[in-house]
Amino acid sequence: MEFTLLWASLTAVASMWVGTRLWPRGLPDHPSDRMVGAAAVGLLGGRLAAMLIQGTNPLTNPGDILIIRGGVHTATATLGAIIAYLWSVKGEIGYLDAVAPAAALGLAGWHGGCLWRSACLGTASDLPWAWADPGSPVTRHPVELYAALGLAVFAWWISQLPFRPLFRSGIALSSLAMMRLITEPLRLSLGGGPWGWYLAAVVIGLVAATLGSRALANRIPART
Amino acid sequence: MIVRRLLIATLTLLVVGSCSRAVTDTSDVPDLPTVTVADFEAKLAALDRPAVVNVWASWCIPCRSEAPLLNTAHAAFGDQIEFIGVDVQDNQQDAKAFLVEFGLDFEHVFDRNRAIPNHYAGLGTPITFFFARGGELVRTHNGIIDERGLALGIDELLRLDS
Repeated sequence: MEFTLLWASLTAVASMWVGTRLWPRGLPDHPSDRMVGAAAVGLLGGRLAAMLIQGTNPLTNPGDILIIRGGVHTATATLGAIIAYLWSVKGEIGYLDAVAPAAALGLAGWHGGCLWRSACLGTASDLPWAWADPGSPVTRHPVELYAALGLAVFAWWISQLPFRPLFRSGIALSSLAMMRLITEPLRLSLGGGPWGWYLAAVVIGLVAATLGSRALANRIPART
Repeated sequence: MIVRRLLIATLTLLVVGSCSRAVTDTSDVPDLPTVTVADFEAKLAALDRPAVVNVWASWCIPCRSEAPLLNTAHAAFGDQIEFIGVDVQDNQQDAKAFLVEFGLDFEHVFDRNRAIPNHYAGLGTPITFFFARGGELVRTHNGIIDERGLALGIDELLRLDS
């Protein structure tokens, strides 16, 4: 039962790997290894943040950090993964832009991995493609598949953008957060979802893609 | 070099932390009532609203991780849904310490021999059962439940009840 989460993770890793093969321009060596490492750091950082927010002391309950299903703080996880990846490429921002489409495709794979763990459904719907869990009379939006499809389209679009420092990565951050914002109303949650963080990510991404990109244009060589 | 030092410091903190154990004062907390399967079924049947029943134990690490989620769900839906905890294969002292530590302020019962989850064909610990009004079992989630799973089960119960 619990291993379904591993299958979803493997789908994400496989999607990232496919992304690096589809869009290899400007990537560092061993791009998949770096991305998986960065994702693992982000995941543990996000889990640690979630534990602290929920009031679980990580020093007295260190094993809890491995219980990913207990919750992961999205913003901390994203930030942790970006920092870890940048650290792995010695801070060369151009590599961040190069990896952006593959990262988006990896995230699409993660959402699509809902099929392994029977976790695709969101709010109730009567639309023709809505479906119900076995034994349930309520048909629902397959919201995670909407997100997967949208992210895959975004991944392709990001791959077509020009290489300028922070441009593709900024647009990628904005696009991924935007996809979450679009699908969030169809997702079931207990507290309404982290809207504020997604909005902040959209703004930060756009600022990075415009102002940051312009400021760094003459100082950092683009990786093409 | 700095990274290695940071790693060693983090590991040391984790090891030292895991060796310590928080002492929780449970002197004011009454023992959890022991119930039989028949008592429990009668209790569910008498409820005027649906129920979420979470099977937990103080020694169960995944139960610790889902406890804050249950608190959130209880705060959000406690007026529409009954939340009941079933503590299994445990002792009263550790169970009470667990409840105090996580502030789980809904009703809990004690089931040392795990007769209740066995009766409803639940596997392992934790388990979350979703019961419609009148005590009919609608959904069983074996293992740790995440926010989506809990929200889905609650949404199904509320739709069935409307």
